[in-house]
Amino acid sequence: MKPPILIIVTSTIVLGTMIVLFSSHWLMIWIGFEMNMLAIIPILMKKFNPRAMEASTKYFLTQATASMLLMLGIIINLLYSGHWTISMIPNPVASTVITIALAMKLGLSPFHFWVPEVTQGVSLSSGMILLTWQKIAPLSVLYQISPSINPNLLVTMAATSVLVGGWGGLNQTQLRKILAYSSIAHMGWMAAIMVYNPTLMILNLAIYIMMTLGTFMLFMYNLSTTTLSLSHTWNKSPLIASLILALMLSLGGLPPLSGFIPKWMIIQELTKNDMIVMPTFMAITALLNLYFYMRLMYATALTMFPSANNMKMKWQFESTKKMILLPPLIVASTMLLPLTPMLSIMD
Amino acid sequence: MLKIILPTMMLMPLTWASKPNMIWINTTAYSLLISLISLTYLNQLSDNSQNFSMLFFTDSLSAPLLALTTWLLPLTLMASQFHLSKETLTRKKLYITMLILLQLFLIMTFSAMELILFYILFEATLMPTLVIITRWGNQTERLNAGLYFLFYTLVGSLPLLIALLHTQNNLGSLNFLMMQYWTQPLPNSWSSAFLWLACMMAFMVKMPLYGLHLWLPKAHVEAPIAGSMVLAAVLLKLGGYGMMRITTLLGPLTSSMAYPFMMLSLWGMIMTSSICLRQTDLKSLIAYSSVSHMALVIVAVLIQTPWSYMGATALMIAHGLTSSMLFCLANSNYERIHSRTMILARGLQTLLPLMAAWWLLASLTNLALPPTINLIGELFVVVATFSWSNTTIALTGTNIIITALYSLYMLITTQRGKYTDHVKSIKPSFTRENALMALHLLPLLLLSLNPKMILGPIY
Repeated sequence: MKPPILIIVTSTIVLGTMIVLFSSHWLMIWIGFEMNMLAIIPILMKKFNPRAMEASTKYFLTQATASMLLMLGIIINLLYSGHWTISMIPNPVASTVITIALAMKLGLSPFHFWVPEVTQGVSLSSGMILLTWQKIAPLSVLYQISPSINPNLLVTMAATSVLVGGWGGLNQTQLRKILAYSSIAHMGWMAAIMVYNPTLMILNLAIYIMMTLGTFMLFMYNLSTTTLSLSHTWNKSPLIASLILALMLSLGGLPPLSGFIPKWMIIQELTKNDMIVMPTFMAITALLNLYFYMRLMYATALTMFPSANNMKMKWQFESTKKMILLPPLIVASTMLLPLTPMLSIMD
Repeated sequence: MLKIILPTMMLMPLTWASKPNMIWINTTAYSLLISLISLTYLNQLSDNSQNFSMLFFTDSLSAPLLALTTWLLPLTLMASQFHLSKETLTRKKLYITMLILLQLFLIMTFSAMELILFYILFEATLMPTLVIITRWGNQTERLNAGLYFLFYTLVGSLPLLIALLHTQNNLGSLNFLMMQYWTQPLPNSWSSAFLWLACMMAFMVKMPLYGLHLWLPKAHVEAPIAGSMVLAAVLLKLGGYGMMRITTLLGPLTSSMAYPFMMLSLWGMIMTSSICLRQTDLKSLIAYSSVSHMALVIVAVLIQTPWSYMGATALMIAHGLTSSMLFCLANSNYERIHSRTMILARGLQTLLPLMAAWWLLASLTNLALPPTINLIGELFVVVATFSWSNTTIALTGTNIIITALYSLYMLITTQRGKYTDHVKSIKPSFTRENALMALHLLPLLLLSLNPKMILGPIY
């Protein structure tokens, strides 16, 4: 894509999300979502092939439907409350419709069907933006209306998301689909805690974004999109293999890495509110996630798959990929656990 | 406690910055020095604890385990020198770094004062162990072994996290100092039963309990020597230590909830000992013998009498040293004939007489010969179990007999008789190997002279 066009499109995406974050008028929020959706379509279509066209079309259709549902919820809210300001939504119908619309934008189950297919159809860098930046806007709106969301709806969506994210990823070898199912599962964890402590949802989002950005960048370093091509990493760049090991363990939520912080804090909040079965169920289902991360770790770092010797030619050349802030991201994604007491500043 | 933790952390830069011909010397020497520091903690009053900060403490239960852990690092380094000699320098340094990281987490686990910190470090020990087993094991089964190891432990310990957080909400804090005064007895209800199960299952899996022990033979057999040593000697004791600490929270419920686990342990002791009699794989035999000894520890912790706690602590230390020594001996066989099958290397007494002496002493301590601390541990536990219920003597007595049977079976098969013709060309014992066995055995024998420091807080 020519640089001027890329600048315009990228700034529209950023501007769209910023408008959603900074607005207090429901119409402006809706406008921000629309800007975001329209501007990301060229990003999703960076490679012009039928698969990318199909993925972009699916993305557009689901997001447009979600935006229309959002508008429906906004109008119902306007009808019953008389104002356009974003705040608590007293009317349960409006609240449910808006929650479902935002769940469709996020990819929460049972509206998750578009996430794996869209992520698989686009390139790694577009998928990275799709799974990280695009989650910020809907979650910020959910944060602002969280006192009035129906808890039963949210808990159901969270439980099914964690299940789908765990089970769906088990049979995958394509890395983008694996990361899509991982995104569904993490969104489930975020939805579960939204009712009780929305700040922890933001914490989970922050740590998830850091880990996913790091993971995508490491995959982009090798230009690998399948488990098989990832398994040649030990020959091309052994350091990247060890970093993938650390990041996969962190995504799986193993102590003492940073991925454990959101899980620990969420379970603590849920048990404080006397929910015992729900966190047990979510924690055990997160082990399904850990299984396919472990499979990736096995293929990449812990075994040496047979690979041709001409991989060693790659040692001669420096990487030309843009690895923006990769070292700090990796440090932040693995070593933040000792800083957990700092979370007390949020009280 | 920082005087142990910081030097252990600094062992990692030491590994990476050492010259290639000095890595083993540097790390072994400095880790031996660190273990000398930990020996100073053994000088304790028996029922009081030495509190270093709000995070770390030692008392007479954790000090011997701490000494065992720090003592084991130089031994694992010495044992790994041979099989890593052909690897590239970076991989050697990575392996040593994994061992040091594991050591660091173990030290912090045994001295943690708060139960959530204990939990985090308990889980953290899984990560370096997984890397050691799956990356440096020798057969393809190691992948399966790593999976079983990780998932068995995690499925047991995630409910523990939830139970700990729930208890923290009820009691206010999970700090050991405050828990002594704030614990309330658990009411007799279904939810208390689930809380008890959630707290104990993690440690039952780790010990392991007989029905949940499937990960242990896989992990022990497939791990390289350092992994097997650390697994057998220390990681199993994490389960026992955790059980002893957490039963303080679980009130009078333990006496009624313990029955199924007592039955599983008592029966499992005999089952796993009997399987040892039919094993062809040497490491597998030692792994099953670990299950059998740990089942005794489970029984001891569940009946919660003063004698049984003393026996459990002594048995944990004794078994740690014995089992690690047996794995080192098995590894010295493996390095020569590259097979774990017992009958392939017979009659070694003729060829390696000094090693046969170490085999004899290791087998004798394994079958709990007086006056070793193995005997003290087993005897205390058997006597305490007899007072809990008279009929258990049939089971524990049978177990002692079968333990003696398989230990002698292992000794006689590998050492006595006519040697097989193909082992005539094996290399003689290295000084490193003899030093390794001596360093395992000396603490065992010296502790027999003064066992009161490993008898735990009840003595």
